[in-house]
Amino acid sequence: MWRVTPGQALACREWDGEAVLYNDLSGNTHLLEGAALDLLHALHVQPADAATLAVRLADHFDAGDDDLVSLIDDMLHTLAGLDLIEPC
Amino acid sequence: MLTVGSLSRAELEARLSGTGLVLRTGPFANRIRSDVQPLIDGVALMYADYPVDPEGGFVDFHLDFLRSGGLRRWVRSQVHFAYDGTTPFQPLPLGQAYPMLEWTMNWCVSHRAHGYLIIHAAVLEKHGRAIILPAPPGSGKSTLTAALLGHGWRLLSDEMTLVHLDDAVLVPLPRPVSLKNASIDIIRAFRPDAVLSRPVEETTKGTIAHLKAPRDSIARAVEPARPACIVFPRWEAGAAITLDPLPKARAFMQVADNSFNYQVLGARGFAALGRLIDASNAYTFRYSDLHEAMALFERLALGTA
Repeated sequence: MWRVTPGQALACREWDGEAVLYNDLSGNTHLLEGAALDLLHALHVQPADAATLAVRLADHFDAGDDDLVSLIDDMLHTLAGLDLIEPC
Repeated sequence: MLTVGSLSRAELEARLSGTGLVLRTGPFANRIRSDVQPLIDGVALMYADYPVDPEGGFVDFHLDFLRSGGLRRWVRSQVHFAYDGTTPFQPLPLGQAYPMLEWTMNWCVSHRAHGYLIIHAAVLEKHGRAIILPAPPGSGKSTLTAALLGHGWRLLSDEMTLVHLDDAVLVPLPRPVSLKNASIDIIRAFRPDAVLSRPVEETTKGTIAHLKAPRDSIARAVEPARPACIVFPRWEAGAAITLDPLPKARAFMQVADNSFNYQVLGARGFAALGRLIDASNAYTFRYSDLHEAMALFERLALGTA
């Protein structure tokens, strides 16, 4: 299970399928795909694992069911590397 | 209104060597003290049209430029800069005193004026539309700016775009335009009417000359402008002119990279830059011919590019 790291307000702006997000913990700004932002917003509503997110966000991704869980898992680890989310 | 040009040379020198000349540049009051003739020459020529604030008012930056003492006063004389009693820079040869004034005035704003988001960018306005030109050195930004000033554009700044944190309005800080090396002769040829300071050779940036800001731009320094475009220029010998849209999220990141204090401002800087990007179309721009560039920028000013 993953959750948004406490202290992250997820201040973000999105234009034409790309987003920028302010990291409250590091002070850095990240350039993200719109899909990554969708994951963050979904986790902000409720902690979840990759399989649950794949079901919830299938419409947002252009991938088959098996590939989608793997794709989301990769994105979650990338977001965790930025301290935007953490295991829970 | 008292201006530098309305002071006699003796009055100007008396102020500079006495309690200081309080020079108004955009939103800032700079109290300058100096006994260095090349610096006084530069102020007299480049700042003739600028307001002089009355004594006793609030001053943002206290700048002292004084000649070396002792033996150095007579052999390879240098100019020393002090800011609020501290000396952040090494002294420079006396002949570089005027460029030093410009560099230190930039330094004061970029390191102290955190009431604005400060982008390392030129900004000009025409027909009510301001265009921001963020660029690293060598991109041809100042050459392009100097050329546009001969085509009816208003100078807000050559070096530092001040963005109001609450509403993304651009605050003018019109000051002389810094030209380097080959750009000096390019602008002399392109704009024979331009007033340039005496070129100073062998600075850390090569040969430097400054272009006097247009009188109308200085008179309108209290008039903010609305952003319309962010254009990342790049001069390339022989290149065909191109203007390509830049996705806004990528423009955001590039402007942040070209900002002096984006990191300092934290979440406020993020919000301010977001509003600026909302209000602006972003482009990358490549050019080699200044005449072609003038025509394209006219279309940008009219919103038809």
